[in-house]
Amino acid sequence: MTAENSDLSRHFVEQARHSVTAFLREIVGVTAVVIATLDGFDLVSAFKGGADAARIAAMGSSISALGNVVALESGMGQSKSVIISAEAGFAVVHGARHGDVQLVINIMADGDAILAQVLHRAASVAKELSEMDFIAAGDDAGAGLHDIVA
Amino acid sequence: MKEYKLLFTGTMGAGKTTAIHAISEIAPVVTDVRNSDKSVDKELTTVGLDYGMLSLDNGDRIRLFGTPGQARFDFLWKILARNALGIIILTDNSRPDPLADLTMFLDGFAEHLTSVPCAIGVGRLDSHPQPDLERYADLLEQRGQLFPIMAVDVRRRADVILLIDTLLAQLEAGIGEHRP
Repeated sequence: MTAENSDLSRHFVEQARHSVTAFLREIVGVTAVVIATLDGFDLVSAFKGGADAARIAAMGSSISALGNVVALESGMGQSKSVIISAEAGFAVVHGARHGDVQLVINIMADGDAILAQVLHRAASVAKELSEMDFIAAGDDAGAGLHDIVA
Repeated sequence: MKEYKLLFTGTMGAGKTTAIHAISEIAPVVTDVRNSDKSVDKELTTVGLDYGMLSLDNGDRIRLFGTPGQARFDFLWKILARNALGIIILTDNSRPDPLADLTMFLDGFAEHLTSVPCAIGVGRLDSHPQPDLERYADLLEQRGQLFPIMAVDVRRRADVILLIDTLLAQLEAGIGEHRP
């Protein structure tokens, strides 16, 4: 995806980048935060050490979609988040929205992280994204999304 | 009663979801979301899997799985191919380089294609006659692979059933030894 065909504004992307950077810095044990489109393109990310933001975005997209199918077919409505608990940490895939653009917040955390704290922060970031003023990409020249991925 | 697992794969827009919709006797499980890649004129795209079910006249059942088409989801290709008894690769002849598309999937499923049968369905051949089926066959021959290739309209149930029959015929002929 390129700046020319992105639906998201530079203004939004800069604020989202600030959110993921603060998430990573302030929540103990978080190793990666990636905000991605619902179909698996990474928009902004921050991580400690090595991480493949594109890969995380694609996997998060699939997990989010599968979680949504399970929730809907079980009569529970739309999925809000999916949690993957592993031996050495956990991953959270949390839904978000900006204007009419659906997004996915992907968080990777190690064994030092506290799940409730991560979930709370993920929900806070989702709220921030939803409350940011929606500006169409063309109205502020658009962001070079891949140019600013951390 | 036997149960088979068959996998539909192929490039984005080739019609994997449509094919499963065309033949499934249950409401298919779909994981389509809005497509944000504007280089492809498509409103929705599969990011997880498609799933449907088809019963044969003899009572056997076929579980139908579909993959996402984009290479960024290749981690799912391997997961969905596990225990599949056959793979159907769909191509879209209106795309810029359908043979390169096919090559990507032949490479992506290379490990499985040594042990399970495969059939290739070429879509939109009527409106985009090149490359023709002979060129597809040449590509396979160069790779040392021998799979049936046919023109399909995946909106037509009969075309999709024919692809599946072709796979099942290979299975009955013992082509490809399935490794559970």
